[in-house]
Amino acid sequence: MQRASQPRLCAAVLVLVAGLAHGQEAGVNDDSIKFGQSAAFSGPAQDLGKEIRRGIELAFAEANEAGGVFGRTLELVSLDDAYEPEAAIANTTELITRENVFALIGAVGTPTSRSAVPVAHADNVPYIAPFTGAAFLRDRQWNTVINLRASYYQETEKIVDFLTRSLGINRIGVFYQDDSFGQAGLRGVQIALERRGLAMVGTGVYPRNTTAVKTGLLDLRAADPDAVVLVGAYDPVASFITWAKQIGFEPLFMTISFVGSDALIEKLGPASSGIFVTQVVPPPGDDEGAVIIDGGRLRAAGDDSTVTSPPIVGHYRELLERLFPENPPSFVSLEGYLAGRLVVSILESCGESPDRACFLETMTHDRVIDLGGFPIRFGDDNQGSDAVYLTVVDDQGRYRKVVETAGTGGE
Amino acid sequence: MFRRLYNLRSRISAQLTIAIMGAVTLTVISGMVGWYSFDRVADAQRHVSEETVPAIAAAFGIAQQSGALAAAAPKLTSAGTQLDLTYTGFEVQQNRDEFARQLRLLEELGGDHEHFQPIRTQSRALVSTIADIENLMWNLFALEASRLRLTDRMAVLSRELNHFLIPAIDDQLFYAMTGYRLLDEVPMSRTHTFTDREILRYRVLSEIHSGTKVAFEILATVFNTSSITLLEPLKERFEAVRRGIQHNLNTLPDDEQRQQLESLFNEMDRLGSGEGSSFDIRQRELEAETELQSILELNQSLALNLVNNVEKLVSVAEDAAIDATEASEDAILTGRNLLIGISLVSVVGAALISWLYIGRGLIRRLSRLSERMRVMAKGDLEEEIEVRGSDEIAEMSSALEVFRQHALEVQRLNLVEKMANELKAKNELIETALTDLEKAQDQIVMREKLAALGELTAGVAHEIRNPLNFIKNFAEGSTELLEEMVEEIEALLADIEENDETKERHALVREITDDLVENTRLIRQHGTRADSIVQSMLMMGRGSGERQPYAINPLVDEHARLAYHSARATDTNFQAELVFELDPEVPEMDIIPQDIGRVFLNLIGNACYAADDRRRKIREADPSARFDPVIRISTKKLEDGVEISVHDNGSGIPDDVIDKIFNPFFTTKPTDQGTGLGLAMSNDIVRQHGGTITVDSEPDTYTEFTVHLPFDTTPTVSESSPAPQG
Repeated sequence: MQRASQPRLCAAVLVLVAGLAHGQEAGVNDDSIKFGQSAAFSGPAQDLGKEIRRGIELAFAEANEAGGVFGRTLELVSLDDAYEPEAAIANTTELITRENVFALIGAVGTPTSRSAVPVAHADNVPYIAPFTGAAFLRDRQWNTVINLRASYYQETEKIVDFLTRSLGINRIGVFYQDDSFGQAGLRGVQIALERRGLAMVGTGVYPRNTTAVKTGLLDLRAADPDAVVLVGAYDPVASFITWAKQIGFEPLFMTISFVGSDALIEKLGPASSGIFVTQVVPPPGDDEGAVIIDGGRLRAAGDDSTVTSPPIVGHYRELLERLFPENPPSFVSLEGYLAGRLVVSILESCGESPDRACFLETMTHDRVIDLGGFPIRFGDDNQGSDAVYLTVVDDQGRYRKVVETAGTGGE
Repeated sequence: MFRRLYNLRSRISAQLTIAIMGAVTLTVISGMVGWYSFDRVADAQRHVSEETVPAIAAAFGIAQQSGALAAAAPKLTSAGTQLDLTYTGFEVQQNRDEFARQLRLLEELGGDHEHFQPIRTQSRALVSTIADIENLMWNLFALEASRLRLTDRMAVLSRELNHFLIPAIDDQLFYAMTGYRLLDEVPMSRTHTFTDREILRYRVLSEIHSGTKVAFEILATVFNTSSITLLEPLKERFEAVRRGIQHNLNTLPDDEQRQQLESLFNEMDRLGSGEGSSFDIRQRELEAETELQSILELNQSLALNLVNNVEKLVSVAEDAAIDATEASEDAILTGRNLLIGISLVSVVGAALISWLYIGRGLIRRLSRLSERMRVMAKGDLEEEIEVRGSDEIAEMSSALEVFRQHALEVQRLNLVEKMANELKAKNELIETALTDLEKAQDQIVMREKLAALGELTAGVAHEIRNPLNFIKNFAEGSTELLEEMVEEIEALLADIEENDETKERHALVREITDDLVENTRLIRQHGTRADSIVQSMLMMGRGSGERQPYAINPLVDEHARLAYHSARATDTNFQAELVFELDPEVPEMDIIPQDIGRVFLNLIGNACYAADDRRRKIREADPSARFDPVIRISTKKLEDGVEISVHDNGSGIPDDVIDKIFNPFFTTKPTDQGTGLGLAMSNDIVRQHGGTITVDSEPDTYTEFTVHLPFDTTPTVSESSPAPQG
């Protein structure tokens, strides 16, 4: 018995050796390259995961229709982690060891990424375009992380800058999720305020994956801020705004991109009007024209100030219309699409036999990757884009880009 | 008979036979000794291989397997997964079987029973502890699986409770503070909501929530507890917390919310108490671990004893093996010594035989004989060979003596024959020399003849010249006189009346005068011809210019054209192609250019004539036949001189006249066309330049004259042969 097992062992070793001799990177086959995604496809953040996946699938389908990248089609395996860190670790491990993916893409959330990144990093698997702006992922020690979007700090900086400079609002409170994501947003606002010699007037907190926002709402109401920066997922944020309006607490609501802008409008309906959201990708919808802040009030900008979207947005909308006609354009799926396009672009520059080393090396090149008018540039950091757009929901429930005019705001 | 044998005593063959028989005897003795010692060695080896080796192999096998059995327990306990455990259990089974097999084998080989009995009992005990350990390990794995299931259930339950409790607390506080319970509801007034009842409810829910957290923390701690004794206080605390929760639950109104919570906490009870609870599982785990520890200790002491006993067994087997090996070594050593001894005796015997007998007697005599033979081979056959003794060497000596005498005779005979042969060879040499001498003589005579002929010709010509001039002058004078006489006769005849009688006489006179005029003309013509012959003869043998350095190629070229044009001048039908192959390396030569020029003129003229002659003959035979006369003139620089050859494809020279062509007055041309002096003169000139002319020809095919001029152009008469070849 023991003896009989010897040839089988030999065969196994031979198969292993043959596999190594073939010389292809994990996840790279003769006709395909496999990518993995662990994101929320259930629970209160599920829209984020689904939209990101849709965007990546758009980019992959586009590349595959054109014959793939050097003849290899791009595949995406998505697993649900329900925005829970433990599940994200399990999924990441499974994607790397069982599914043998080339790289991970489109993770959703800060606490989940925080848990999954060390797992991926240990196996030197690229971790591409996580849907989070957390600062720790921008640390150079994570040289396997390829960030696409601007950081939360950049978003909160934009918000605080806009509030204090354009609107003259200095009483600012923060409502945040009781985890690393919420902390990131809270810290970002704090840093931005401290820079201006200001202090936060109050905070409210809610437990992750719940809509138990009312205690936090009461805390904030007690502090009576003029503006509240909401750092949370769309479901609790929507709940917060609804209840706030219900009890007559109506400061200026400002939130950051992670909220899931389109899901937020869907949840809130007409109550979404007047909410400011910072974005890290251009508005994906019909170009409605910008909004100008004038003397602390908003008004539609003239045709002359209309800021046109980069060509890739139109391209994305055509593709979405063709492949997923029932789904409207969204910020999140556009970000997913940009992530997919970035992957295709890097793979193309890596040539016929791509490996992870080449893929990651791209980050060290100080050059601009132009994704159809949306420039990506690494170099001294692992973050490709610094773009932050401020948008506001109009009374039609549409996001309008906010353009600041010179001379507005209090000196 | 005996006497014959006695006589044979002194024979070498007899002595050799005796010596060989001695050697054979020694060999047979040594062979027997060898056989005896090998037999002993084989016995010893058989003992080693049939008894000692299997015994020691079995002992080592037992040692190995006992080691494996001793290591089985730690190996089993360190199994990380159930698969590991299965595999290790299987391995241990194999070790056990192998151990039993080796033990049986060793016993069959006849070992000491007092060693086997303790090993047998100890191994049996050890095996039973191993089985216990394996069972315990299986048990532990089963418990671990239960624990994991339990942990999962705890996580799920904790999440469900949180999802229920957190919003409930949130809502309760909000309701108390704002009066809102549902959206779009008219809010209750604060006096209605901000009451003891609602505040209490908020507090109860919060306490249940914190109690739940504590309960789950206690349940999680259970699995980190390493001692059974610590389980009981934990249980105590869990139950207290649970009681507190229940107390709070009881204060809630009995509504749907409470019922849901009750069912969730009942689920928590199942995790925290009774069979299958985390306390139960952990207790069983800890018990199993303790038992495992004690069995392991027993197992290790058993294993130690077994290993020690087995080591004794091995050392006994090793001692036996060492004994057997030593016996075998002894046998080999004795055999070796015997063989060395007998070999020494053989070697000494052989040495004695060769030294005493062969060396002293035979070899010395043989070498003396061989020395004599060498001397004889060098030719010294004179000394006589002494014959001594009556053995084969004596016979060889006498045979050699006979041979020597024969050889002596043969040597003498050979000498006579050799001298005769030498004489014959010398005779042949003399004959050859004679023949050469005769040939040379002929040549000298020929040369002298030609020279004398030349001189004679010149002398004759000189002598003939005066009478010839006389004849010529008088013939001319006679012609003039004859013309005057004819005029006078015509005038005379005109004066005389013509009649029949005179008419006839007139005709006669006229006929005579005409004949006379004609004769005079002939005399003059032949006189002129004779004069030109004489002129030529005078030219012969007399240099007509000074020696000077002169280029050969232009000379050849110039005279070739001269000859060609002169041929064209005499015969307008003449045609031939001249081909020059002149070697540019040909240097200037110290020659008399006029003379050498004449030679070329002559040779090329002859060639033109011969070529044209053949063309003419071919035309006569067949007017339509085509023939292109070609004259090829070439010069060539040689090592010692220059070679000029004139080749024509004309009528050639018949074999019967080729020897005569250099003779003066020999010509094949019609009488009035050749003097017969051209070639003779040419030969003369070339000879005066130290050179030769040779001819090669085939009738009706070609003729080639070759002039060889040495760089040293002083005349040599004796060396070069002017005789024509061909």
